[in-house]
Amino acid sequence: MSLSLNQLGRKAGNRWILRHLDLCVNDGECLALVGPSGCGKSTTLRLIAGLDQPDEGSIHINDQDVTSTPALERKVGMVFQSYALFPHLTVSANLELGLKVRGIPAHERQQRVRQMLHVVQLEERANQRPSELSGGQRQRVALARALLRDPHLYLLDEPMSNLDAQLREELRPELRRLVLNDRKPVIYVTHDQHEAMAMADRIAVLREGRLEQVATPRELYDTPGSLFVATFIGRPQINVLPAEQGVVKAVRPEALRLQTGGVTCQLMHREWLGSSQIWQLQSPLGLLRLLTSADQEIPETIQVGWSRSDEHRFSADSGQRLPG
Amino acid sequence: MEQTTRRFWILLLLTWSLGPLLWQLYTSFSTDQALVTPFATVDQRWTLAHYQAVLSGHPPFWRYLINSLVVGASSTVLTLVMATPAAYALTRLRNRVTAIAKSLLIAAALFPYVLLFLALLEVARTLHLGNHLLALTIPYAALSQPLAILLLSAAFQDLPVDLEDAARLEGLGLWQRLRWILIPLIAPATTSTAILVFLFSWNEYPIALTWISDADRLTLPVAMARIAGSSIYSVPYGAYAAATVLGSIPLIALVLIFQRSIVSGLTNGAVKG
Repeated sequence: MSLSLNQLGRKAGNRWILRHLDLCVNDGECLALVGPSGCGKSTTLRLIAGLDQPDEGSIHINDQDVTSTPALERKVGMVFQSYALFPHLTVSANLELGLKVRGIPAHERQQRVRQMLHVVQLEERANQRPSELSGGQRQRVALARALLRDPHLYLLDEPMSNLDAQLREELRPELRRLVLNDRKPVIYVTHDQHEAMAMADRIAVLREGRLEQVATPRELYDTPGSLFVATFIGRPQINVLPAEQGVVKAVRPEALRLQTGGVTCQLMHREWLGSSQIWQLQSPLGLLRLLTSADQEIPETIQVGWSRSDEHRFSADSGQRLPG
Repeated sequence: MEQTTRRFWILLLLTWSLGPLLWQLYTSFSTDQALVTPFATVDQRWTLAHYQAVLSGHPPFWRYLINSLVVGASSTVLTLVMATPAAYALTRLRNRVTAIAKSLLIAAALFPYVLLFLALLEVARTLHLGNHLLALTIPYAALSQPLAILLLSAAFQDLPVDLEDAARLEGLGLWQRLRWILIPLIAPATTSTAILVFLFSWNEYPIALTWISDADRLTLPVAMARIAGSSIYSVPYGAYAAATVLGSIPLIALVLIFQRSIVSGLTNGAVKG
């Protein structure tokens, strides 16, 4: 058990912004933290990094209690959303500073920086300032800096949210190669659930400072523990049907099928995506989203249905998943 | 059309701000005769006599320049050494005490310092600081504190918090963060603050006038006033202008040297971008 958080809590003023958080991340495991903004994702990262102090609970790294260890002794490699590169220093000086502070001799520092620049493929940029680099290059420098710390764990705070979609896709394998192969625990904060599913072994969904569910991407998608998780994970969003006798049913858009004798709908809008298409349907059950293959023709009258096994059932009061 | 109007205004502004300076320069090189009859033909229009007079006075003029430089540099350094940590602390600590301290600083910055005058004089006398350059350095640095702290804390405030957090995670202690990250990043603000403090000390008159009587220790403004008032029968315009020109040279040099670092946007690309 390499990183464990026990009943972690943090207050802002009189309000708990994070409470009762229990989480374990193993060596070589990537855990994604997701949730709407203000749910406590960044707070959690800052507590683990030691940038903020928890108001209750404890943090253990490699079975050592580090709850009150200051940030500079905690040995975590963090990549900030803003990259937080030192703008007045060159790329190699940015990387070297931490080594210098730790008293590593000059020739060894230079050697390690050179090696690291080779790993992230930025050798030609060694003497440039961060402002001269592209977004993707800055991100790689930030990663390199975190890697050079030789940390016990990695914290990635929306590391790709400032990059465009294409670059993000290109960098994903690289991020895997650099960080996930280091056999250390990785915590990956993102608001992009696609990214979370693509990168993470497990996903923790936070809501208003509480842990809603933690599970593999597959489990989260197939058996969401609550209505909140069901609507939060998966795009296009799950169809939530009107509550009946204290039970809310929800059906994924791809589980909806054209079916004679089903619910009669009217097509409001059609989003054609190339490999698939989304139909926005107006029905007696409210707005429904249907995901189907791109070559599906629009029939004269649209009637949709779904099989009983594709239904997710939640309690209307608590939002918790109901068995069966 | 618009171009022409713009040129006109720029020209007007330049004349407005440079005119007196150029006039002073002209006066310093003109003979007394040329000064009083500017349109008549005179035997000799240009002269270096005023400069010679000023520089060969007793004590020589450069003595005052050095005094002013010593006082200016030492009060600037002292101000920055005290104001930088104070500004950092005021920015990072957020509680009622720092809020009150900030409003007190604004009040102090607006306070007319001449009202402190007698009290300061009394303090200087008790400490036997009369006729010491230190007697000027200490009050100058103290009087500059409020403005310097406010300017520098605005600069600290503008730095992205992530930068300091990243430095902490890199293992940099408080002093190392200040030394390697924060102070270099606020360099433009520090430079402009330094210039303001230096200017204040360079121009300060009442304190310098009362606390220093020894001719060897006078600062420029007082020394120049002495030249101007050296005779009740005539005003030595030429000598006065020469002294003013000599006294302005260090300031002009200072601004020219540092203007690049004042303007340079060092924080470009710090975050996002």
